[in-house]
Amino acid sequence: MTVCPYCGCGCGLYLHVEDGRITGTSPSRSHPVNRGSLCVKGWNAHEFVTHPDRLKTPLIREGRGLRRATWDEALSLTAARLAEIRAEHGPDSIGVLSSAKCTNEENFLMMKFARAVLGTNNIDHCARLCHSSTVGGLAAAFGSGAMTNSISEIADASLLFVIGSNTTEQHPMIAMHMLEAVDRGATLIVADPRRTQIAEFAHIHLRHRSGTDVALLMGIMHVIVSEGLVDADFVRRRTENFDPFAEELRRYPPRVVEGITGVRADDVRRVARMYAMEKRSMLFYAMGITQHVTGVDNVRACANLVMLSGHIGLPMSGINPLRGQNNVQGACDMGALPNVYSGYQRVSDPRARRKFERAWRRRLPADPGLTIMEMMDAALSGSLRAMYIMGENPLMSDPDLNHVREAMERLDFLVVQDIFPNETAEIADVVLPAASFAEKEGTFTNTERRVQLLGRAVGPVGESMPDGDIICALSERMGYGMSYRGAYEVMEEIALLTPSYGGILHHRLSEGFGLQWPCPDGGHPGTPYLHRKKFAKGLGTFITVDFLPPDEPPDEAYPFLLTTGRICFHYHTGTMCRRTAVLEREEPECLAEINPADAERLSIRKGSRVRVSSRRGAIELKADVTERTPEGTIFIPFHYAEAAANILTNPATDPGAKIPEYKVCAVRVERVER
Amino acid sequence: MKRKGRENVYLPLSADVEEVIPLTPETSLFRVRPEAAIEYSPGQFFMVSLWGAGEVPISVASLGGGDGPLELCIRRAGLVTGALHGLEAGDTVWLRGPYGNGFPLDLSRGRDVVVVAGGIGMAPLRPLILWFLENPGAAGRVTLLYGAKRPEEIVFREEMDGWRERGVDVLLTVDTPAKGWEGRTGLVTALWQDVRSDLQKAVAYICGPDVMIRAAMGELFLLGMPEERIITTLEAHMKCGVGKCGHCYAGPRYICTDGPVFSYREIRSHSHFLTG
Amino acid sequence: MRNEWILDKNHLSYWLRQLRKERELVGPLLNGGKDIVFRTVEQIHEIVLDLPASLPSPKEFLLPQYEPMLRLDIPGGEPGVHYRAQPVSPDACVKGSRAGRVYDLAERRRRIVFGVRPCDVSAVRLLDRFFLEGYRDPYYEQRRMNTLMVTIACNNPDPTCFCIGLGTGPYLDGGFDIQLTDLGNRYFVQAASAEGVRTVKATSFLFRRPGKADHDDQYEVILSAKARFRKRISLESPRGMILAGRIKDDFWQRVAARCFECGGCVYECPLCTCFTVTDRRYHGGIERARLWDTCLFKGFTRMAGGVLPNEKRMLRTKRWYYHKLIHYPEVLGGFGCVGCGRCTLTCPGKIDMAAIATAMKGLDLDGATAVVGKGRQVGIGEVMRRPKPEETGAGPEGEG
Repeated sequence: MTVCPYCGCGCGLYLHVEDGRITGTSPSRSHPVNRGSLCVKGWNAHEFVTHPDRLKTPLIREGRGLRRATWDEALSLTAARLAEIRAEHGPDSIGVLSSAKCTNEENFLMMKFARAVLGTNNIDHCARLCHSSTVGGLAAAFGSGAMTNSISEIADASLLFVIGSNTTEQHPMIAMHMLEAVDRGATLIVADPRRTQIAEFAHIHLRHRSGTDVALLMGIMHVIVSEGLVDADFVRRRTENFDPFAEELRRYPPRVVEGITGVRADDVRRVARMYAMEKRSMLFYAMGITQHVTGVDNVRACANLVMLSGHIGLPMSGINPLRGQNNVQGACDMGALPNVYSGYQRVSDPRARRKFERAWRRRLPADPGLTIMEMMDAALSGSLRAMYIMGENPLMSDPDLNHVREAMERLDFLVVQDIFPNETAEIADVVLPAASFAEKEGTFTNTERRVQLLGRAVGPVGESMPDGDIICALSERMGYGMSYRGAYEVMEEIALLTPSYGGILHHRLSEGFGLQWPCPDGGHPGTPYLHRKKFAKGLGTFITVDFLPPDEPPDEAYPFLLTTGRICFHYHTGTMCRRTAVLEREEPECLAEINPADAERLSIRKGSRVRVSSRRGAIELKADVTERTPEGTIFIPFHYAEAAANILTNPATDPGAKIPEYKVCAVRVERVER
Repeated sequence: MKRKGRENVYLPLSADVEEVIPLTPETSLFRVRPEAAIEYSPGQFFMVSLWGAGEVPISVASLGGGDGPLELCIRRAGLVTGALHGLEAGDTVWLRGPYGNGFPLDLSRGRDVVVVAGGIGMAPLRPLILWFLENPGAAGRVTLLYGAKRPEEIVFREEMDGWRERGVDVLLTVDTPAKGWEGRTGLVTALWQDVRSDLQKAVAYICGPDVMIRAAMGELFLLGMPEERIITTLEAHMKCGVGKCGHCYAGPRYICTDGPVFSYREIRSHSHFLTG
Repeated sequence: MRNEWILDKNHLSYWLRQLRKERELVGPLLNGGKDIVFRTVEQIHEIVLDLPASLPSPKEFLLPQYEPMLRLDIPGGEPGVHYRAQPVSPDACVKGSRAGRVYDLAERRRRIVFGVRPCDVSAVRLLDRFFLEGYRDPYYEQRRMNTLMVTIACNNPDPTCFCIGLGTGPYLDGGFDIQLTDLGNRYFVQAASAEGVRTVKATSFLFRRPGKADHDDQYEVILSAKARFRKRISLESPRGMILAGRIKDDFWQRVAARCFECGGCVYECPLCTCFTVTDRRYHGGIERARLWDTCLFKGFTRMAGGVLPNEKRMLRTKRWYYHKLIHYPEVLGGFGCVGCGRCTLTCPGKIDMAAIATAMKGLDLDGATAVVGKGRQVGIGEVMRRPKPEETGAGPEGEG
């Protein structure tokens, strides 16, 4: 068995092999997440593995193009250039992007490489762009930033509150459990400006304006407090800082909230009563909450809501951020972040640092490093000279792509390590071919903290190597020996240095369906739900938040609100799914969703070509006229290089988490005559 | 093309491109010569492919027989046809076929014929007209009603003059006239009264956009033409051409093997044929 | 003499070892203590004999999800580096006549699949008609000719099984290569196909002829298995209701609302065969391969120029069920369903064949709207009862 390489659900699947070649996929029937089902991407997870575009040898820049090279050549060049730049400009002139698509072991090695070999904390990965608000927001409230429940608990919940998550399309196998809960009689409340498929099953669908989540949640909490629905016992025993928070709440009576969000005051009251009164209420959220300049505040508001009604620390009761990438939870756990080591041990904490220094026999930097967005700014200003990017495609995934391209083109040296040549690799100096999920060993941690073992189905294609092996080889050449007999040995080091992974070892994972952290020792069975008797940090903290509007609301020049997201058949920057015949056939081109009322005003019809422009750039694409998207809003998926939504998006970030506001920016829409 | 029973039906034959003649900005006529002679009849189609791009069903635009090249009229509509448009004389295409039932040619014996075509829907009907011209006893009076969006999108226009000279009533109409257009304007289905045959006794062969086919068949039926003499040929997404891939299945029929030529009677009894 | 024998269970592994000399042996193996899947058997003792009824179907061995068909040699030709994922890149197409030979890549490996279910054998009999009548599909034909299936009859049907209402299981009277019925300490062995008979006879020293006690025991086992079915579903009544025009589009609308468009029902179905074809440019050649496709996707019927005749999900869901219930019987003489229950196992929206049949039965009995069953089977009935969700917010009536 192995684990699906697409989203954070972490479904178990089998790869079929004939004559040493992968020919098919089938779901695990007894896996607790997918129980015999898969989404369309999972069912086709085998196909990209054998795609001819796979990188099979290292490539080295020669003039304007890249030429094939040997591993020896590519690694020597990379090691020499990185060493040079470090010597000349200091370790912090190098930035590293790790990958939420790679295994825990590989992320740990990358983190070790950045800190122990290069000597910098400049390591980050795409969690910055999806759930850094969660990591920050929930850590401050509870001490741990992960889904508190397990997916298998969902079906038994009595109320599901889904906010900012297009679950049926983005986490289909979680939506399956939600649907089952609804079938069994649970109440489903969905808050989303778009009419998503999951919203069609909702008993109440709140279509609040994009970017007004804090106001909506504060309004709901206002009602809970003013109508005496607070779980007073829970608040007294388990939390702190309630009074100043309650004071702040007074400013959000439902009437005021209606004005801000567009949601009727009565509905705010109804939702508040339903949520607070039910015994087993689960809250789910995803990018609709996190990808805002107020992302951390949005998360805090969610955290406050679950504490207020005591819906946390029990089975079927909790707060559940749905993580995007297959191993984004793991990449965060492994400390592929600028401020923490694995297990969220802070680099600024001398005790933690000393522990890692002793294990790794190197002095480690104490100051937190740069985040992705800060790296781009530093590259532009010239203080960042080199980047080593593993399994990421910032030239498609980051906001304001024109700016990102300019920044990355300024680098003295860029190494890209990936399974396919992507948009970022095109401007790299060295491209290293990596093995795919089907060709290596290691573990992924899914959104419910379940650490699962991959099963290697075939050997790496061409001369490609597992990312972990590449990092080790590079490290050797830079004078720091990293030798492991296999991924299991890396996991032993992780367990040694990471309390929450203390009991997670490969031999334990090979039976059953993995272990959910925290799993502190070898006898521990793992933890299905968090914060049972006390929060990870002791008392849960009510953090006061205040509603702030989006950074770039629509105005006269740019009258539409652009929100971005994904569609069911594709995934992120499309490197894998767009090389899968059926997926690409199904959704071959980028469509901008526009409400019929707006479309009529602009004489746009289904299939019309439109030009969507923001203050940062413009793209041309076809329109899809649909009620799914509310009036005044445009929705564009960000999968398509030929109409890259991120050319338009606003790089303004949350001040704490540095997550960009992908979900709101102002755009103009015009019809283009061909 | 005769195939032995055991031979791989998916194996394409190579064909040399002899000439590519642009007909409209988006449509060209490809004259190709297969590596072995192939027999086919009007209304049949080939799976035409370019290795690396894929296969598409294309109906034959030539009459066949003799030693002339096989003609394929291809509109640039997707990935494969787009790639095919990159070909020039001397290149190679690959063919499988012919597939499909073809037009029922004996239906028109002793009857007047109305050929109704829209846009590139002329392509499969062209060999039919050539057949009538070459076999004078095969039909009575032949009338062609042809409509295109714009005058420059009319295919085989010069050839039509030749047909006219040989006795075919050719009536042209466009949706949007351009400067110098002296023909009719409007839908092809507005031309019934100009047909000099008794529609109730005639046979109609129709091909064009879905909407046009539907309108034409319905109107002819209302004008008294029996449903089994209203004939059309349908287009569908196909991957195999031999009834296996499933894409073109409509009700209990496969357009590739049971069709692509159907009568209005067959279509009416299965609502799945025409969608939308 | 009927082709019936008795095989002592102690002799099974010896028998399989004999069979493996001529063919690759594929059997149900327990993977990491988790799931039972068909894999090439290395250690015969690892074959799982105490099988759940709902094994994966053997479809992957006759029509693999990805199957290379043809290969065109291109001397030298090196594909370029594609920084963007694009379906057809200009340099991937071969235009000129530099192309070399075309090779047929049909798989001809001789294989024995051990542990196949009777419902799957019933499905393969229809697949044989589909693929081998009219134009013969050479890829299916080669694999089929070279695959010997040893069926194990189902003594313990799963709760999702309903072959009993379709006559496709749990035991077959014919149509299989070899069918084994577990009688406790021995197997009741039947061979039907020529290859099946030949295979048993080639190792006849391991078998004995059945006696009356063996026949009695077999009948006993069949009776008790038949009594265990929880689902008794006839597809005649849904077919009849559809043909009588009693199932309106709003029914399919509600069904489609729950469709996740995962394709699972099609991928799992032993009778779904639709495929698409793709060309891939490798070093030195282009491979033309076919891969599973499903009519539940709107792009499946996309016409030249991009028109989507089945853009509405309802039309596609309906199409699938019509194909199975209405058209398959007309074309191939049997329902496009053998009651294996795998769509029930895989459908995330619980709109599988059994759920649909049950919901229609509810409609039949109850008139308008019906709630069906409990637990996992609630599915459709519940949705049919529920009004549209209430919506509130900055929608059309809001100020925003």
